[in-house]
Amino acid sequence: MIEALHFEFMRNAIIAGCFASLICGVIGTFVVVNRLVFLTGGIAHASYGGIGIAFFFGIPYMLGTLSFSLLAAMLMTAVVLKSKYRADTFIGIIWAVGMATGIVLLDKTPGYNVNLMSYLFGSILAVPNEDIWWMIGLSVITVFSACFLYRDLLAISYDDEFARLRGVSVNLIYFLFIGLISVSIVIIIRVVGLILVIALLTIPPYIAEKYARSLAIMMALSTMLAILFNLTGLWLAYTFNLTSGATIILVAAAGFFLSMGMDAFLKKKQTDIP
Amino acid sequence: MNEPVIQVAGLSFSYNGSPVLSDVSFDVNEKEFVALIGPNGGGKTTLIKLLIGLLKPRQGRIRVMGRSPDQVAGQIGYVPQDLNINRSFPISVMDVVLMGRLPFNRWTGLSKKDTASALAALECMNMDHLRQRRIDDLSGGQRERVFIARALATDPQILFLDEPTSNIDSHGRSELYGTLKELNKTKTIVVVSHDTMVLSSYVTAVACVNKDVHYHNGAEITEEMLETGYHCPVEIIAHGLPHRILKTHGNAS
Repeated sequence: MIEALHFEFMRNAIIAGCFASLICGVIGTFVVVNRLVFLTGGIAHASYGGIGIAFFFGIPYMLGTLSFSLLAAMLMTAVVLKSKYRADTFIGIIWAVGMATGIVLLDKTPGYNVNLMSYLFGSILAVPNEDIWWMIGLSVITVFSACFLYRDLLAISYDDEFARLRGVSVNLIYFLFIGLISVSIVIIIRVVGLILVIALLTIPPYIAEKYARSLAIMMALSTMLAILFNLTGLWLAYTFNLTSGATIILVAAAGFFLSMGMDAFLKKKQTDIP
Repeated sequence: MNEPVIQVAGLSFSYNGSPVLSDVSFDVNEKEFVALIGPNGGGKTTLIKLLIGLLKPRQGRIRVMGRSPDQVAGQIGYVPQDLNINRSFPISVMDVVLMGRLPFNRWTGLSKKDTASALAALECMNMDHLRQRRIDDLSGGQRERVFIARALATDPQILFLDEPTSNIDSHGRSELYGTLKELNKTKTIVVVSHDTMVLSSYVTAVACVNKDVHYHNGAEITEEMLETGYHCPVEIIAHGLPHRILKTHGNAS
């Protein structure tokens, strides 16, 4: 592993992984406690349309994907706020329309030769320098915004009615929050690909939730878990020549089942004591 | 005599065309302890949400402390029904109570005053020793006390509680009502409850809510009131409501 650090692509991969982990910890925590996993999946898949647009029109990947996923996310949020109980159908439709748009646009892109798989399953080992800067910049903005709005987000996540009563602009903050989720997704697609985004965004916070006394502790804990999963996955992928995104997710899944098994074991032990 | 703190006149409200409250009028005086009783679906929660400004009336007028509810939202305390809140949320008791101090200055964050007020509210409810605990580690009664502390952290003049005792055993109920009675010395209290038996020894007024509102000054809950409130006296007796809340059976009417 140490000699691998001499390669620029490996250093980039580690930096990308660490920043993605920070986002998983902070934004993923809000996704999990607000039960927004489906919406997040919808945004992630719809953002494929943005990838299509980026290639078809020849604009930078980050710009195209970011604007398209933001647009899709805002549409979804408007529906969620308007009719909560029909929102899942609509999210499902945008999810599919986004992907279909991406596929058709890539069909029509002249001289298209990009490896589609790298966006579906990530390519942390092939993140170009330019994208590293995008990732760092966006991560810093995302995490800073989430911290800036921490108390408001905490309040609307826990009891939005009470927050509204206390004069918090719940709808505005909700839109901002979903915006932060879309930015996070676009960054993490680079690491594990759009199909696996949901797993990386939700597994670390889900494990952390059980042991955390407060949301801030949950964020710190899930960031550390995400770093652990990312770096372990990266190391395994490098050593055994595996697809890095999938390896990272499998490591995270192993952590997930390990924590579930441990809980079951501890629970059994507790009930065994009379 | 001061002006009533809550004035409701000709209030009507409906959800998707089906009326929940129609032509409701009543006044609540300062430092009253009002119980809202009535059947489920009778509009008690809707009435509370209208009074605190979370819902807007279709018709009629609501004045709280002389102004419209959303103008005074900062001066009232609200304790929602426990079951509407996500139980497994990882949040500490202190963070819940601090919500009562919203909105914060986003640049400077929590001030010393915010923390001090939250702590004082917790002390008032005898819950300060549990402030670092996660909320779902607490019992139903303790959780309810935390929600009341959150409402108190706003330093409200009126306290609205929606079924605060639904998750508490009977001993905890009287204890909670005792605490509310104590708070009643300085605050007006409006509480939705089904505990007609316990309530009658604490409240100063009773409002029977069932599409319309019958407001009674005085603590006694009579059989007649329950009948007009619930429109189904037989069912109440079948639910085992003890007779001893009534002064004597013969004198009730």
